[in-house]
Amino acid sequence: MLSPEKSYAEMQATLQQELERIKLEEEVLIQELNNCLSQKAFHGDKIKGLAKLIPTLKVIKQEAKELVGTINDISNSSEKISGKIRSLDMARSNVEECQHRVSDLIDLEICSQGVQAAILDSDYEKGAAHVHRFLSMDQSLLKRTATDMENVTNMMKSVRTLQDAAGQLRAIVEHKFNEAVKTEDLVSIERFFKIFPLLGVHEEGIKEFCTYLRSKLADAADKNLKSAISTPLADKRHSIVYADTLTLLFEGLARIIDTHQPLLETYYGPGRLLSAITILQKECDTQTKRILNEWSKNRQIGKKTQLISDVSRMSNSSSFSKIEKIDPKDLDILIGEVTLMHYRSELYIRFIQRKVNSDMEVGVPDQEAKTLMTKNLEQLIKNSDLSQSKHEFLSHYLRLEQYFMEESVAKAVNMDTLEAPQQTSSMVDDTFFIVRKCIRRSVSTGSLDGICVIINNACRVLENDFCDILRGRLKQGYPSGYLDLTQAYNVLQSSIQQGRLQSGDTEQSRTAFIVALNNADAAIEYVDTLCDSVIKEIDQALPKMNANERGKLESCLSGLSSVTTNLREVIEYGMQQLRASAIKPRINPWVDTFLNVNHQMTEDEMSAYEAGEPFVQTLIMNLDTLLQSFKEVLSSSNYDAFTAVLTAEVTQRFEKVLLKSTFNRMGGLILDKEVRSLAGYITTTTSWSVRDKFARLTQIATVLNLEQVSEINDYWGNHDGALTWRLTPSELRSIMSLRTDFKIEDIRRIKL
Amino acid sequence: MIMDDYKFLFKVVLVGNAGVGKTCLVRRFTQGLFPPGQGATIGVDFMIKTVDVGSEKVKLQIWDTAGQERFRSITQSYYRSAHALILVYDISCQPTFDCLPDWLREIEEYASSKVLRVLVGNKIDREDREIPTVVGEEFAERHNMYFLETSAKESDNVERLFMQIAEDLMKQARSRDLPRYDSNTTTIDGKTSTISDFSCCSK
Repeated sequence: MLSPEKSYAEMQATLQQELERIKLEEEVLIQELNNCLSQKAFHGDKIKGLAKLIPTLKVIKQEAKELVGTINDISNSSEKISGKIRSLDMARSNVEECQHRVSDLIDLEICSQGVQAAILDSDYEKGAAHVHRFLSMDQSLLKRTATDMENVTNMMKSVRTLQDAAGQLRAIVEHKFNEAVKTEDLVSIERFFKIFPLLGVHEEGIKEFCTYLRSKLADAADKNLKSAISTPLADKRHSIVYADTLTLLFEGLARIIDTHQPLLETYYGPGRLLSAITILQKECDTQTKRILNEWSKNRQIGKKTQLISDVSRMSNSSSFSKIEKIDPKDLDILIGEVTLMHYRSELYIRFIQRKVNSDMEVGVPDQEAKTLMTKNLEQLIKNSDLSQSKHEFLSHYLRLEQYFMEESVAKAVNMDTLEAPQQTSSMVDDTFFIVRKCIRRSVSTGSLDGICVIINNACRVLENDFCDILRGRLKQGYPSGYLDLTQAYNVLQSSIQQGRLQSGDTEQSRTAFIVALNNADAAIEYVDTLCDSVIKEIDQALPKMNANERGKLESCLSGLSSVTTNLREVIEYGMQQLRASAIKPRINPWVDTFLNVNHQMTEDEMSAYEAGEPFVQTLIMNLDTLLQSFKEVLSSSNYDAFTAVLTAEVTQRFEKVLLKSTFNRMGGLILDKEVRSLAGYITTTTSWSVRDKFARLTQIATVLNLEQVSEINDYWGNHDGALTWRLTPSELRSIMSLRTDFKIEDIRRIKL
Repeated sequence: MIMDDYKFLFKVVLVGNAGVGKTCLVRRFTQGLFPPGQGATIGVDFMIKTVDVGSEKVKLQIWDTAGQERFRSITQSYYRSAHALILVYDISCQPTFDCLPDWLREIEEYASSKVLRVLVGNKIDREDREIPTVVGEEFAERHNMYFLETSAKESDNVERLFMQIAEDLMKQARSRDLPRYDSNTTTIDGKTSTISDFSCCSK
């Protein structure tokens, strides 16, 4: 039980604590009270200040009331004023209309009097000016004026006079204009051309004037065409005389448009160029068609395209040889001409598009009218004979160009020659020269569709005619023959160097094979270069391609990358051929001599052997001779591929013979050295990284070079020193078992 | 060209007489539109649509060729690289059907022999049919082609046409049997060695 003293002591402590707390509270309260006191004076001041403000507030309220009253008054009076202004405005506009009508009436009077006099005086400008004034009057307003007036008859008379005069003037001006055209009176032609718009007959004026321009154009074009047809064969420009004629036609048209556009704009206003061009286009169509027909007739296009289609149609039939083929060289100039003709047509179309569009920007503010006009322009171009002729030019161009490319490449392939010390033959340079030339020419037509077709065609020719020839040559195989290969090669080399190639069939076939392989390699590079340069040229020629057009072009260009794929396959095929006939038969016996070396050696035997390393040094020497003979003839990347194939063969064969041998500790040591020497040789002689190909072989040598079975744990497992193994555990075990000094039980016991 | 997220790229080329509705079929499929009063195509048009076949993205590159004779030299050059050719006629216009043998001759001459060929009778929305379905079917069967009747206007069978082609081409590609212009697996000295094959979209 607690003693009362203890509980008293506790109670005292509690009370003491409570006391402390209350003391603290008291202090805080005193502090607060002090604060309040100190602020009291401040608050008192504030209250005093506020009390002073009260009378002022009363004054302000009074003033505000007065202000509201004033504002109300102002608003009332301003409303009154605006009402008055409105009626004033109305009155003023009435007065204005009245003035307008009066001035119209006066003008009407003056015009109707003046017009007749002017007509009688042959002062058509003045007469037309009167009519123009009359036409600019609001006709409905005139009618209203008439109903308001007493003296109706007088006014109606004036109106009728003017209407009659307008009709009369129109007839006169048209007549005079035609007369001027007949007498070729340029001054009068221009004079009356300016009067048409004053009479409100803009379209007629444009029609009359452009019809006149048309006839001038026709005369000039006629003369040009006649002189073109009669151009003597010896003339420098005979071969492109039709392109020249077409150029003259377009230049003439462009000049007419350029010189007359300001006239048209000044007197007829902007936005009327399309009407003029529409009329001129008819003559352009007629003349273009004529030139196309004459060209086609005199250049015997029909006959040529017929022959070309016969060739392509009958290329597989027996009567093929009977067809007289056109020499592609003879078509070269003609293709140049038609390219130019297409390009000129394209340029002219772009010219009128540009002209009409800029005229429309200035003269036709209405968006809807603009759209309609754009559509009309499109229709005009699309339906024109010019466009038709342009398509025809392109069509002819494409047929001729495709034939040219095909036949020229065929010729290049047929006339293939090898000039020492080239590694490739002439067909590669020639073929790519031709293909490039054709694509370039297609770029100069200015037609994306045309370019795409020629690129497609280039892909076809390269894949079918070029790759297939190379593949065909490789199919003949690389004859291994009974002669020693290196020896045969020296014979071949010397005969190439002397420019004679009539040595034995074997050498010739070998050369053909190697050259075909090099050709394929060079062609890959050429295709890449071709692709790059073509893209650049097209970007320059057609800078405004849209995304869709670009997609089209890119899709066609991607055909060229499938040519590259094809060429890579050709090389791969050739390499496999070489593997089978040039590498395997040579390498196998060399590597097989390994079996003649006893790898169960004593220490003495080992040091004797080590001094000369007869097996591996002979192998290296042999390989070196073989590689050297190919290094001279193969292109560098083909040589790389060749060494890769060779290395793969050597390592595979080596592995095979290894597994047929047995080793002791010394033998393993020797083997390891031999593998290192071989790997060292091949890595230093080739640029190709062959370390990887030696991985298995090096690992086998490592295994056979172990001191004891347990040492494998240094290399196998998940620790730092471990190798990335290319050998499976079972392979590893069977390799270990080749060491005669390793116990089978030990090998079995190791954990892999 | 950039490889975006598609796994297969196929080229589909539409051919057939002028006015049979090739452009409308393409527009309907690629944009879901039927533009009335479509003008004649000039040269070739080019559209792309990526579709899902199963879980794979297939990019169809559709070449819409002009039917008019004067563009033949342009359009023919696209046959060779086509994976599928759609030959279109107008079921309400006998002459467009009568021209089919000529078109087949063209295809024979310029296209790969392994190209997937599809015969399409378009405009089945029209009341004035001249070629009964069975006649089209027979023709297709005789020439070893797929057959489908469509209406670009009513959107009948259009989706199905292109999806069927995408699926078929993908099946072909899977079995590595795509049309290659000159695929010859060659044997070397008796030891067979197949030249590594490339899928259609390898670069």
